[in-house]
Amino acid sequence: MDVRLNARAAAVFSKVSKRFRVGLGTRSITALDEVSLSIAWGEVFGLIGPNRAGKTTLVKKLLSICHPTSGRIMRMESSISDRSTLARVGYVHENPAFPRYLNARQVVEGYGRMTGLPRREVRERSEELLHRVGLADRLDERIQNFSKGMLQRLALAQALVNDPRLLVLDEPAEGMDLPARRLLDDVIEERRNAGHTVILVSHALTDVRRLCDRIAVLRGGRVAYMGTVAGLAGQDMQDNDDSPLESAVEALYAGAQR
Amino acid sequence: MQERSDNMLMDRPIRSTFAWLVVDTFRQARANGILYVLLAISVISIAVCCTVGVSGAESLNIGGDPDDFLPRIDPQVTDTARLEQSGVVVAGGTLTLGFGAIEVPVARTRNGAVHFLQLLLAGGVADTLGLMLALIWTAGFLPTFLDPRSISVLLAKPAPRWVLLAGKYVGVLLFVLCYAVLFVVGTWLAIGVRTGIWTPAYLWAVPLLLLHFSIFFAFSVLLAVATRSTVVCVLGSLVFWVVAWSMNFGRHAFFSATDLAGETLKSPLLAWVVDAGYWILPKPADLGALFYNTLGAGDHFGKLFDAEALAAHGFSMTLSIASSVAFAAVVLIASMRSFGREDY
Repeated sequence: MDVRLNARAAAVFSKVSKRFRVGLGTRSITALDEVSLSIAWGEVFGLIGPNRAGKTTLVKKLLSICHPTSGRIMRMESSISDRSTLARVGYVHENPAFPRYLNARQVVEGYGRMTGLPRREVRERSEELLHRVGLADRLDERIQNFSKGMLQRLALAQALVNDPRLLVLDEPAEGMDLPARRLLDDVIEERRNAGHTVILVSHALTDVRRLCDRIAVLRGGRVAYMGTVAGLAGQDMQDNDDSPLESAVEALYAGAQR
Repeated sequence: MQERSDNMLMDRPIRSTFAWLVVDTFRQARANGILYVLLAISVISIAVCCTVGVSGAESLNIGGDPDDFLPRIDPQVTDTARLEQSGVVVAGGTLTLGFGAIEVPVARTRNGAVHFLQLLLAGGVADTLGLMLALIWTAGFLPTFLDPRSISVLLAKPAPRWVLLAGKYVGVLLFVLCYAVLFVVGTWLAIGVRTGIWTPAYLWAVPLLLLHFSIFFAFSVLLAVATRSTVVCVLGSLVFWVVAWSMNFGRHAFFSATDLAGETLKSPLLAWVVDAGYWILPKPADLGALFYNTLGAGDHFGKLFDAEALAAHGFSMTLSIASSVAFAAVVLIASMRSFGREDY
């Protein structure tokens, strides 16, 4: 797929491949195959695809959690080897887990401190964010008692503590109740309005349709589609109707290339 | 304004991360119970030391003469007065525990009795029981920390990966240091106050305990990075300690036996292999010997090996300790490099 790569973007992937060795290193699985795409500042970018399409692997590369086998990645206009850019990145893991012996306040303050924020600032922001995500009454409770939805809210608070210019959300709504989902929508909208970038990995097409400016559909480690939601679903797409998008995505998953 | 804000955001992320991980290790130690176990061992030992008493003459040594006396419990001591008339000094003191509830006849001198008690505490309780418990319990810290679900978010922070590993390693060492300081200084003070006998050499147990632990915990770090398995870390660390001790002691026994038999080496190749294994691996038996030498255990126990005789075969305590520390450093660097390349 021909993609115009913009160095002044929030994230740029240029022919990025990743192969994992399996079976004592005798075989390899291709998780990403020459993926090229560019994500602009101020946009909400959706990454969708079937299971094992390479979505999480792609964002993990952007965050230096996983190393590419080949290709080039730019994060916030710098090479990914420049870790200082991670000070302005927020990340919500698809299945968040924090040390069970910590309480909510310790998680957000501790993870905030790791971004280099001064102690006083991180304390104030943690308090404010934990109130915002609805954990104000559980601040000093050990998180071992937290439900999945509460852990997701906590993960969102820790991802926002450094006021990130690039926010990566991997299945953030999994396990969230309705108020938490509304909060997530508000957060994404605020980020966009502030000119910051959000990458949203999701299976929830409704969320993708409502929130994303552009999307990329990954299938078998390759980009099967990249563009606007309307461009994929067609002109007959209506508000509150996911069926055209679902049909188009299903067709892509089934193998039809666009 | 934006630039100033960005500079503030980069305000010491490495130091902040390192400091947070050190504090986090203490939280982890509290949560998994090892803090309370080691605290209990220390408090009980200090409490026991607070009940120690020693009675008898100030010193049973006569002037600068070497110890030359019979202990009170010796079978020959049937008539103390007659023995003393003939110039034999009979040790007459008593070491008491539990404020006199338990009386132990002093076998030699007052100082010797207290010194022996300190050796039991430092060698038996702190160095063996305490360190083994610390090694077993803390072996699970890193595999838990390296769980992909929780480490992923930390890997997406600005601090380099080696800082994460170094922070946890130093955190565990500081935790063990706190335990060693509490135990050794606490028992030293308690015994000193109760008996009036102060043995500064006993305080060397603190750095020596830490040195011993740091070398073997480094290997546990390598196992954690390679396997992320608590079971492998616990068993692997213990098995490795036994293997290293066997290689260490076996090497000394091999050369000592050859010397005793008055033979030349029959198999230079075997000698080379034994020597190579000895110099590569850490040396817990030598560390133990250093521990006991520093604490002056030679007055009470036989030597583990004859260091002077082994010097002819290249043994040097300084080189031995330096090579053990070098092993730990190489293992730590290898762990950090491996962790740096790992995909999560």
